[in-house]
Amino acid sequence: MDCNSDSNNARNKQPLKRNQVDQLNFQLNTQPDCVHILRAMVEVMAARSNLTDMETNRVALAVDELFANITCHGYNNKPGSVTFESHLQHNEDGLQELHFTFRDYAPTVNISHWNCGKSKPCHDLDITPGGLGIRLIHSIMDVVQHEALHDGNQWTLIYVCKHAIKRGRP
Amino acid sequence: MKLDVTMEHQSAGVINLVVVGVVNIHTSPRLRDALKPLLTEQNKEVHIDLAGVSFMDSSGIATLVEGLQWARQSGGRFVLHKLQAVVLDVFMLAKLDTVFEIAQPLIEDKA
Repeated sequence: MDCNSDSNNARNKQPLKRNQVDQLNFQLNTQPDCVHILRAMVEVMAARSNLTDMETNRVALAVDELFANITCHGYNNKPGSVTFESHLQHNEDGLQELHFTFRDYAPTVNISHWNCGKSKPCHDLDITPGGLGIRLIHSIMDVVQHEALHDGNQWTLIYVCKHAIKRGRP
Repeated sequence: MKLDVTMEHQSAGVINLVVVGVVNIHTSPRLRDALKPLLTEQNKEVHIDLAGVSFMDSSGIATLVEGLQWARQSGGRFVLHKLQAVVLDVFMLAKLDTVFEIAQPLIEDKA
């Protein structure tokens, strides 16, 4: 199943060969304190991508929210395993994309009821478990993908490094 | 990562809660534990000083929404103070910046 936000055609970009330096991966369990490890990892990748502090915070927030959703709603706050991978993709057109992939082994999630729109107004009484986090993810990331697997889920978040481009950084 | 929450009584019925650290899925229960007992009929105003908070996710916002709901039900005030730019940004992304009473955001946007 695919749940794309406005992708800005990010999927159509032709990637250059990936450098080992541009990627990180590791195995996590779904303890809430692991969110701090994720934060550190995102900050490393954001620094390599020349993101601004504001962009770094937003990207870290989106990754944090997805991990929290997997922990709370995928594994129902029970111990679980998550493989996390991040890489920086350099496209032929000069665009950089930060990719984050979560692979979990929780029951397959049906995301058809998720609000994937960016424009839905958020009211204070509309803070349902998972709801606000999903909206934040979609408002930050250029691509949000979910793939239901036979033994779990794979989630991909892609952030196009827009400000780095504006500042003339490669 | 830790979260420090300190309560200060300003005057009768007026509470100031000073929060320092990162508010996320791991630490937000601590904020909730500190905030929840303050949302009583005895208190008229609860002020949350967020100057020392460098990151907040939806679990933190959901915790603060409980204060907002208390204020609406009790007729009290629930005010957020001194939000750092990155924290204010999260409220704006969530479209909640106009729902909460927010005073004195810190202007230090490095973007």
